[in-house]
Amino acid sequence: MDVELSLQQQVIQSTARDFFAAHCPLSRVRELEADDLGYCPELWRRMGELDWLGLTYPEALGGAGGELLDLFAIYLEMGRALVPSPHLASAVLVGETLLRGGSEPQRRELLPRLARGEAIAVPALLEPEGAYGPGGIQLAAAPEGSGYRLDGAKILVPFAHVAEEILVAARTGPGPDGVTLFLVPAGAPGVKAERQANIAGYPLFALLFEGARVPAAAAVGEVGRGFSLLEPVLDRAALLQCAEITGAGERMLEMSLHFARDRVQFGSPVGRYQAVQYLCSDIAIATHLTSLLARQAAWRADAGLPHRREVALAAAWASEAAQLVAHRAHEVQAGHGFMLENDLQLFTRRAKHWEYNLGDARYHRERVAAALEG
Amino acid sequence: MEFRFSPEQEAWREEVRAFLDRELPPAKAFDTEFVEDDELWEFALAFTRKLGERGWIGLTWPREYGGLGRPVVDRFILAEELTWREAPIVNVIGWSLAAGTLLLFGSEEQKRRFLPPIARGETFWVEGLSEPGAGSDLANLSCTAVRDGRDWIVNGQKTYTTWGSRADVMYLAARSEPGSTRHQGISVFCVDLKAPGVTLSPLYNLGGGRQNHTYFDNVRVPGDRLIGEEGRGWHYIMNAFYGGGSGYAAHMSFQRMLEEVVVHCKTHRRGGRLLIHDPQVRQQLAELAELVEAARVLMYEGLSNAEQRRPPAFAGALTVVVLKEMRPRFAQLCHRILGPLCQLKPGRFAPLEGHAEAWYRESFANHAGGTPQVKRMVLATRGLGLPR
Repeated sequence: MDVELSLQQQVIQSTARDFFAAHCPLSRVRELEADDLGYCPELWRRMGELDWLGLTYPEALGGAGGELLDLFAIYLEMGRALVPSPHLASAVLVGETLLRGGSEPQRRELLPRLARGEAIAVPALLEPEGAYGPGGIQLAAAPEGSGYRLDGAKILVPFAHVAEEILVAARTGPGPDGVTLFLVPAGAPGVKAERQANIAGYPLFALLFEGARVPAAAAVGEVGRGFSLLEPVLDRAALLQCAEITGAGERMLEMSLHFARDRVQFGSPVGRYQAVQYLCSDIAIATHLTSLLARQAAWRADAGLPHRREVALAAAWASEAAQLVAHRAHEVQAGHGFMLENDLQLFTRRAKHWEYNLGDARYHRERVAAALEG
Repeated sequence: MEFRFSPEQEAWREEVRAFLDRELPPAKAFDTEFVEDDELWEFALAFTRKLGERGWIGLTWPREYGGLGRPVVDRFILAEELTWREAPIVNVIGWSLAAGTLLLFGSEEQKRRFLPPIARGETFWVEGLSEPGAGSDLANLSCTAVRDGRDWIVNGQKTYTTWGSRADVMYLAARSEPGSTRHQGISVFCVDLKAPGVTLSPLYNLGGGRQNHTYFDNVRVPGDRLIGEEGRGWHYIMNAFYGGGSGYAAHMSFQRMLEEVVVHCKTHRRGGRLLIHDPQVRQQLAELAELVEAARVLMYEGLSNAEQRRPPAFAGALTVVVLKEMRPRFAQLCHRILGPLCQLKPGRFAPLEGHAEAWYRESFANHAGGTPQVKRMVLATRGLGLPR
């Protein structure tokens, strides 16, 4: 039994830590929040050169043939550095979905370009009611001519403004087997993008589909089998997000400990007071368990073992942990933490995005319950 | 990274299960109120002895002391299976505190004398640490051991002596250096509880078990009953648990409770539908499952550190805090799911044969071995480096 990352993965992790420390300090994260693009194309290009974009794609398609845990090591550091990036949306969610179920032309056309950072593609999944899973998909894909007509709305689509292609989950029939994935060009007629101002200052968009027409060849995988194609990729993405939450949590713990040791009140560093010690312990516990639960699930995914239950457990924990850590850290840092000039609030606001991205605790717990029910 | 056991290790698990299938009828699974039930007590002693006959008590100890020299992972797997089946194991203090002290700090002669009877399940040890004035602050202990020739004369009082009325000997911490205070001058002895001057009075607890006050009135302890070196007792007590072993795997206790609650939810209705179909119950069951998994991965991490010989993160305190705080939280969440019937002891309409009522009472014992608050202090100071 060994719960630690392999030596090779630890090397990837420390390489990533140094890389992001050099090329994406928090001052840059602030700048990018104020910037329309919301990510750094130069950083994106460098990540492509390091093979981090197509890390899990086969070499024949421009990838590095790596494992989920290799990416996990990088995501720990993306979380620590709070890097704003289309990686999860493009390299993982769209890229790995195409890898698993895309047609030959779709894979050949897009995957090498995604891996090189020459193209960005993003998923449009959640709809205005905010219900996760296939049940939440109402956007209609009605057969028209030899193709389909898309009508409906998607929300919280990341980096839609820089995407070349949108992977849209639409309804072609009733029930959980009625969802089909379509690859839609971003600027297509009938697709309107509206930026959604949000707490994290992240580039998130609503996509309004009114009579957007797509050919039959735009379908990714079999008609009606969209969610079963997507679900394993959502699981993998959720685990990578757990790694991000872990990295951010460790940084927030360090910031809180640093503050608790330096800040003197009533003649003592506040870190001597038990109430403050409890707050710091809570951060350590929530973060450490996020890490362990996610590592277990990611290991199982790489080992080819069933892992849906373990992913749901890890993701439910991580979603709660993301906001719990923020609350505890703010209680430690109090007035200082409330000021925008303090870096803590950058993590707090992104944590709210993570709490709901790809599913919240309630959704993941329902998946756990379904596994218990058998 | 390897988040599973090997095929050989799983084969060992099957061997343990086969033993339990043969030797542990479900009706004899641990009843916390069994201390006063002679028949169940006899069964528990006999069962523990059977483990001893197979060498499984000293599974990881060197062979010359009655052990089998097996790796720690085998101990872990044995603990998982014993815990899941609620096996009635006695002499926990013998296995862990006493054996740990002896293995790490005992002289060769002491190891050869004391360990084999523990390994065979013959000598039953209880813990003699806490006193009325020394609980969390164990260093405040005042029980004395005064030199008399080659022997020691012990005076004082210990409390919370679990199973004292059934045991043979006590692992006693006493102040052996006159005038010493706090951590200094404490020695550890193996004291015969049948010796003249030893008396016990019962303390019945909320969990349904019997503990005791143990009084020492000029009790003579032979010199060869000093364990390790004089005055090093504090060091031994603080480190002993690393050397011994445990037959308890916390995550399997929680898993067992979860499984029983799930079965109940699949077979009982409320408000016109099965509990398992109630959305709120589903969320609560998932929360329980999260806690089970959290306990499991922490235990795996502990095993992983032991196998790879890595020092634990957070000075080993994070796991202890989580597991202790989990007990009452888990029991209360089970009660939320079960509704008003949770309060029933075995009888008509009692859910889970009254188990949830017992779990809840037992869950208030999470102070044993150190309160969660003290462990949080360790986590904060030694684990996170915050100032004392």
